[in-house]
Amino acid sequence: MKQRYQNRIELLQGTLDLLILQTLRWGAQHGYGIALAIRANSGDILQVDTGSLYPALHRLERQRLIAAEWKVSENNQRVRVYRLSAAGKKKLASERSRWAQISQAIAGILGPAGEESEA
Amino acid sequence: MKLPWGDGEKRKKELNDEIASHLQMAARDREARGESRDQAGVTAQRELGNAAVIQDVTHDQWAWTWLEALLQDLRYGARTLLKNPGFTIIAVLTLALGIGANTAIFSLVNGVLLRPLPYAQPEKLVGTTTYYPKGPLVVMRQQSHTMQLVGVSDNKEFNLTGTGDPVRLIGNSVSADFFSMLGAQPAMGRTFHDGEDQPDKDRVVILSRALWEQRFQADPNIVGRRITLEGEDREIVGVMPADFRLPSPKTELWVPLDLDPRNTGNYWGDSYMQLIGRLRPGATLEQARAELKTMRPIVLAAYAWRMPVNSFVNSSIVSLEEAIVGDARGKLLILLGAVSLLLLIACANVANLLLARATTREREVAVRVALGASRWRILRQLITESVLLALLGGALGMCVAVGGLSILKATLPPDTPRLADVALDGQVLAFTAVLAILTGVSFGLVPALGASKVDMTTTLKSGGQRSASGGNHRASKMLVVGEVAVSMILVIAAGLLVKSLWILSGTSPGFRSERVVTARITPNEMFCAVPGRCLAFYDELLQRTRALPGVKNVAAVNGLPLGGGAEIFPGVIEAHPTPDGAKVPMFWEKVVTPDYLQIMNIPVLRGRAFTEVDAAPDAQAVVIVSKTTAEHFWPGQDAVGEHFRPKWEQQWRTVVGVVGDVREFTITQNSADWIDGVIYTPYGPHAIRGSGADAPPAEMTLVIETAGDQVQIAGDLKNTVASLNHDVPVSQISPLKSWVGEAMAEPRSTSALFAVFAALALLLGAVGIYGVISYSVAQRTREIGIRVALGARRQEVLLLVVGQGAKLALAGVAIGIAGGLMLTRLMSKLLFGVQATDPLTYGVVALLLMFVALAACFLPARRAMRVDPMVALRYE
Repeated sequence: MKQRYQNRIELLQGTLDLLILQTLRWGAQHGYGIALAIRANSGDILQVDTGSLYPALHRLERQRLIAAEWKVSENNQRVRVYRLSAAGKKKLASERSRWAQISQAIAGILGPAGEESEA
Repeated sequence: MKLPWGDGEKRKKELNDEIASHLQMAARDREARGESRDQAGVTAQRELGNAAVIQDVTHDQWAWTWLEALLQDLRYGARTLLKNPGFTIIAVLTLALGIGANTAIFSLVNGVLLRPLPYAQPEKLVGTTTYYPKGPLVVMRQQSHTMQLVGVSDNKEFNLTGTGDPVRLIGNSVSADFFSMLGAQPAMGRTFHDGEDQPDKDRVVILSRALWEQRFQADPNIVGRRITLEGEDREIVGVMPADFRLPSPKTELWVPLDLDPRNTGNYWGDSYMQLIGRLRPGATLEQARAELKTMRPIVLAAYAWRMPVNSFVNSSIVSLEEAIVGDARGKLLILLGAVSLLLLIACANVANLLLARATTREREVAVRVALGASRWRILRQLITESVLLALLGGALGMCVAVGGLSILKATLPPDTPRLADVALDGQVLAFTAVLAILTGVSFGLVPALGASKVDMTTTLKSGGQRSASGGNHRASKMLVVGEVAVSMILVIAAGLLVKSLWILSGTSPGFRSERVVTARITPNEMFCAVPGRCLAFYDELLQRTRALPGVKNVAAVNGLPLGGGAEIFPGVIEAHPTPDGAKVPMFWEKVVTPDYLQIMNIPVLRGRAFTEVDAAPDAQAVVIVSKTTAEHFWPGQDAVGEHFRPKWEQQWRTVVGVVGDVREFTITQNSADWIDGVIYTPYGPHAIRGSGADAPPAEMTLVIETAGDQVQIAGDLKNTVASLNHDVPVSQISPLKSWVGEAMAEPRSTSALFAVFAALALLLGAVGIYGVISYSVAQRTREIGIRVALGARRQEVLLLVVGQGAKLALAGVAIGIAGGLMLTRLMSKLLFGVQATDPLTYGVVALLLMFVALAACFLPARRAMRVDPMVALRYE
C-alpha cells in the first residue's frame, strides 16, 4: 500500500511541487483548496491525488518553501493554511523558467515528429 | 530546520486534524452539490483513499523517523531483555564487573596522572629530578632566565610546645615566594612576604587547615598568634585552604627557608631539597633543561671547596606533575592495562551469550525479515539491544566502582601521590558512559552481523532446526580461546606478584620484629646543643624504662630500619683515599646504644659489639660496619682493625666489628642507590652528625624488648618521659611488627589488586567455557543420542565433551603463555626475587586454568552422559 503511494509521489514530484507553489502565488490556501484550484485551473484535467498532495505539502514545508498555520475558515472550520515563503517565491521563479525550458525542448522534439505522424 | 525532538506526536495529531478537515470540506462540497449527507461522507472518504497510509507517508516527509525507530528499538530491546531475565542478569553482572573495575582504576589514573594540578597555569610548573642544597638554589634563582625557581624541603618534624601536650608536627621549609609562584591563596591571613626566607626574618609560620582545626580549635583570630616550634618563637601569619597539599598531603605547616650563608655546612652541604618552579612567559621545558646544564658549572664554581666533577650531572627538569607522581605512573598504567584485559574477557563472555542466543532467535529475525525489515534495520535493532545491555551494565558498574574505589583508596599505601585528588567526577562518568557504549557495540557487532545474515527461507522452512549455527559456533569457540588466553595472562601476572610477596615476606629484613615495641622520643634539636643534657636525659630514660614492668631490655637508635632515618655524611677510607674530583663515598650512620644489636638480633659476624665503655667521652672513637660495607671497601680482607673517618675530621676511627646486613632503606633494598656504606656508632659524644654539629642527635627511637602488655607500656612510657621533661613528645608507640608490615604495604596492595583481577578473570573464563560447552552439548543432543543408540559408552560420551572443552582450553593456555611472556616483562619492576618468565608460576597457572576449564566442562558433560537416545532422537 505504502509503496504504491510513494511511487506515485516520485513520479509527480517536481511537477506537483511547481503546481502547488504556483497556486499559492495567488494567496494562502488550505490543502483541499489547493487541490480544487489545480483541478479548476487545469480545466479538470489534473486531478491531484490526496495521497500525493499532503506528502508534497509537508515536504515543501520542511524545505521552508511554504509555511503553514492553523486558521478558522469562513465555514467556521479549523483548517491548516499554507502560504508561499520568500524562498518559495524564488524557487517558483527558477522552477518556472526551468519548466519553460524543458517544455520548449520537449515541444521542439515532439513538434515535427508529431506533425509527421499526423500527416 | 525545525528541531523534531518531542513534537513527533503533536505533528501526527495535527496531520490527523488536517486530513479530517479536508474530508469535511470535500463532503460539504458534495452535499452542496446535492448528494445526501451519508453519501457525501462515504464518497469523500473513498476519493481520499487510505487516510492512515497518507498520514504515514506524509509523516515520513519529516524524515525524523530514525529517532522514533530508536525509541521503538529501545522499547523492543527492553522487552526482549525482560523476557530473558537469566541471560540479562548474567550479562549485566558480567559487564558491571568489567566496567566497574575499569571505572575505579580509571578514576585513580585520572586523579593521579591526568587531572591538572590545582594551581594557576599548571602546565607551566616544573621540578628538578634531583635535589640541591640552599646555596645552589640561590645561585640558580639569580641565573635562570627561563624559570622562577623555589626550594621545598622534604617533610621535616617540628615540636609544638606550650599549647597542651607537646606534639610532633610535619612541616616543610619553603622559599618565601613558594606560594606566590604557585598562585596559591591563603584561606586566612597572608602567605610569606619576599625576603622572609632571609636569616632573622624567618620567624613566621603558615598552618594547614587541618592543623588549624584540630590543634587550634579553628580559632578565627589565629593570625598574629605566636607559637613555639622546636623551641623557637614564630608568628602565625596565615592558614592555607584544605585543598592545598604541596609538597605532601601530610604537611601541617610551612616555614620559610632560613637562607644563611654563614652556616656554611648547612647552606652548601646538607640542606638538599627539591626545587620546583614556573616557566617564565615564552620559555619552554627544553630551554629550561638546556639552561640547567649551562648553570651547572656556575653552581659548582660558587662552592668554597672543590666539588666532584660530575655533581648534579644527572639532574634535569620535568613537569611538576611528573616530579610529584614519579614511580607511581608505571604501576598505575600496569593496573589500567590489567583491568582493561578484564573488560576484554567480560566482553567476550557477553558476546558469547549473545551468539548462543542469536541462534535461538534466528526464527524471530527471519520472521521480521519476511515482514519487510531491512538487514540494516535488524542490525540496528540488535546493536541497540547490546548497547542497552552495556548501559545497564555501566550503571551498575558505577556502583561497583564506588565501592571498589573506596576499597582501593584504603588498600593503596597512603603515601601514594595525589591519592586525595582521586574521586568519581564528571570526567570519570563520561569515561564510563563512553566505555559502556563502545563495549556494547564491540560485543554486539559480531553476533548481530551473524544474526542479521539469516537466510529467511531456509530458517522458516526448517522449522525449529538451527541453520546458521555452524558459523556462530566457530566464532564463539574463538572467543572462548581468546578469553582463556587473556585470563591466563592476568593469572600469570597475579601469580608472579603473589610469589614475589611470598618470597618477600619470607626474607628476613635482617632483624627480628617479634616482641619488640618502638617509640619515638623527639626533643627539640636545641635541647641537645647543651653538652651533656641530652646524654643525661637518654641515660636516665633508658634506665627508668628498663625498670618498667614487662620490659626485658631497651636500647635507642636514631632511626628504625626500613626508612626510619639515619645520619648521612661523606667519609674517607684510610686504605682507599678518594682521588680529587671523584665522588666521595656517602654513608648512612645508625647511632645506637650498646644493647641495640642484641635486641634487634643483628648478628655480629666479626669483631665485637659496642660496650658502655665505647660511649664514654674519653674513649677511643670506634665504628661497626655492615657486611656489605665491609665487602665493598675491604674486599677479601678483614675489616676489623681498619680505619675510617668523616670527611671533615682528622682523627681516624677504628672498625671494631662487622654485623649482618639490615634492610635499612626499603623491604627490598639495604640502602639507597647513592649510599656506599652503612656504619654504626655508639650514642654519645662521638656520634657523627651529617650537619657537622658537635652534639649527639636529639631524636631517638626506643626499641623495647617486651614480655607483657603493650598498652601498659605505652602509658608507663609516656609518664616516664613526662616526668623527665614536659616538652618532649612521645609518638608512634607501636610494635616493630607493624612497622615492618607498613613497609610491605605497597607490594601487598599491588598483589591483592592483581589477585582480585585474576580471580574475576578465572571466574569469567570458567563461565565462558561452561556456556560454550553446554550450548554445544545442547546442539549435539541428537548426535549424542545416535552415538549412544549405536553403542557408544557413557565414558566415550564424557570424553567427547570434555575433550572438546580441553582442546579449547589448551589452545587458550598456549596463546596465554605466549602473551604472558610478552606482557609480564612490563611489570618486572614490581617483582622481587622472581623472574617475569618464572617457569614454575607459568606451569602452576597453566594447570590451574586447565583444571578450572575441565571443571566448567563437567556439568554439561554429565548432562551429555545422561542423554536418553529415545528422547534425543525424538527431540525437535
